[in-house]
Amino acid sequence: MSNPVHKKSDFIERSILSALAFLKDATLSEEYANRKGLLQSLDPRFKTISFFAFLVTAVSLKNVVLIGTLYGLCLLLAFLSSIPVRHFLVRTLLFIPLFSLCIVLPTLFSIVTPGEAVWSFNILGISAVITRPGFDGALLFVVRIATSVSLVVLLSLTTRHSELLKVLRVFGVPPIFVLTVSMSYRYLYLFATMVENIFTAVKSRVGVVSHQRHGQNIVAWNIANTWNRTTQMSEEVYMAMLSRGYTGEPRLLSAFQATPKDWVWLLGAVIICASLFYRGYTL
Amino acid sequence: MNDIIFDLKNVQFSYLGKFPALCGVDMTIRSGEKIAVIGANGTGKSTLLQLLDGLIFPDHGHVTAFGEKLLENSHVDEKTAHRFRKRVGLVFQNADIQLFCPSVREDIAFGPLQLGVAEEEVDRRIQEVAQVLDIQHLLERVPHQLSIGEKRRVAIASVLAIDPDVYLFDEPTAGLDPLTVRHIIDFIVHANRLGKTIITATHDLHIIGEIADTVYVFDRNKRIVRGGATQTVLNDRSLLEANNLIHIHQHHHNGKEHVHQHLPLEPHD
Ligand SMILES: Nc1ncnc2c1ncn2[C@@H]1O[C@H](COP(=O)(O)OP(=O)(O)O)[C@@H](O)[C@H]1O
Ligand SMILES: [Mg+2]
Repeated sequence: MSNPVHKKSDFIERSILSALAFLKDATLSEEYANRKGLLQSLDPRFKTISFFAFLVTAVSLKNVVLIGTLYGLCLLLAFLSSIPVRHFLVRTLLFIPLFSLCIVLPTLFSIVTPGEAVWSFNILGISAVITRPGFDGALLFVVRIATSVSLVVLLSLTTRHSELLKVLRVFGVPPIFVLTVSMSYRYLYLFATMVENIFTAVKSRVGVVSHQRHGQNIVAWNIANTWNRTTQMSEEVYMAMLSRGYTGEPRLLSAFQATPKDWVWLLGAVIICASLFYRGYTL
Repeated sequence: MNDIIFDLKNVQFSYLGKFPALCGVDMTIRSGEKIAVIGANGTGKSTLLQLLDGLIFPDHGHVTAFGEKLLENSHVDEKTAHRFRKRVGLVFQNADIQLFCPSVREDIAFGPLQLGVAEEEVDRRIQEVAQVLDIQHLLERVPHQLSIGEKRRVAIASVLAIDPDVYLFDEPTAGLDPLTVRHIIDFIVHANRLGKTIITATHDLHIIGEIADTVYVFDRNKRIVRGGATQTVLNDRSLLEANNLIHIHQHHHNGKEHVHQHLPLEPHD
């Protein structure tokens, strides 16, 4: 009787913990941003502009091969930036299907998108026909999503978040907003760590969370308590800011140093986007 | 008389008006002094340092800093605020609170930049301060992902970059390994030799012989029960024991059980 309960709670606990670990490692760690590689060596401003151009191109093109080219370029850049391509593929491709299939699936079929049949089959006596336009449209959509997601992930993997925030400032976002984003980010990290610690603490105190009820109460209480701690912390952070001379308008470091390499990169990116657009237009 | 930096008269403070944290404190601190404030947890040490840093204000009594009363509205004007912030720096007990910028470099730069120091000078200070605290290799890291010892050094660096006349340290050595403790003590002693005033809150009696000439002992009633020369206070065993600052230890020596007190100044064997 107690065995299946254990298995279930273990499973839930493990998935929560691994989700948190993923959140921390994937989005908050800067392991790849600190490596040496092509993208890491570029000025974040130039990198952000060029990736924005790539993104616009990927979204506007209507040809699968051309978008595929951009996707290939993205993988090449990942390789040149010392990101293991397999890891990169897993990270991006894993959640793309989930996301896009839900939207795309209905449009595959003849009821939604009529046209020449590619493949027909029977499910529970209802015949379904996948049509050529439906298939092409879905393929285009999936490739487009895959490319866009990969571009965004690649940019965020190879750029320290402090630099991304600085880019925001260069592009005219007010410093107070940037500081707020940066702090929320930090709270997210502290919050994830705290919840992780609480789970471990509860487990060590209550054994293997054998008394389900008891364990859950402690978790609930701790989460509320964590929230209180977080709000109290923000008051204290405000004092820490005051203590170092903050008077309402934060001043942060600015200087970025652009090199000729950055200009070459930007020129290259513009040429790539322009020729893709041109091909897409003439095809 | 103008070398008095802080003068506290019957200072009382409570959080939210109902949690008393300081209940009548008198204190005079002069320029260049090395002071330690010792007391068990919850005796009001952090509260005192925040009052001295003009972050909170007494309910009764008053704090005078550099000859002017610290009042709720005395730092509304940016110029006055900055003049005070340039002179007094607080290293918070919790380094996670103190470090709120996206990178170590920006955290060190934060103080000087707010205080209007030019960027080239800020860059120079970052390099200098990073060297003093041996954190050059951490400059591009995210502060909250560092180890506790690294965080503490970055926190000190972020205050050192302001180059204040008065340093307030809140439990600067708590939870650190012996080598890092050594570095921090050396830093404090050196700063004092350069003429800086040092006020440290701690309950680590092993370090106060070096970092303080004068010690104030806080008791459970959140008052000063004793103030005096470090040696004299340290020799008063019953006082320290009554205030939870030392405790009796049981040891094995050469196979025999034996009970003795924890000696504050001698390394513990
Ligand atoms: N934010 C707060 N809200 C309510 N009470 C507090 C708060 N901070 C501290 N206190 C109370 O004030 C007293 C003194 O705390 P503190 O100055 O942090 O002591 P110490 O630094 O010596 O450990 C304690 O009794 C503590 O419970
Ligand atoms: Mg304290």
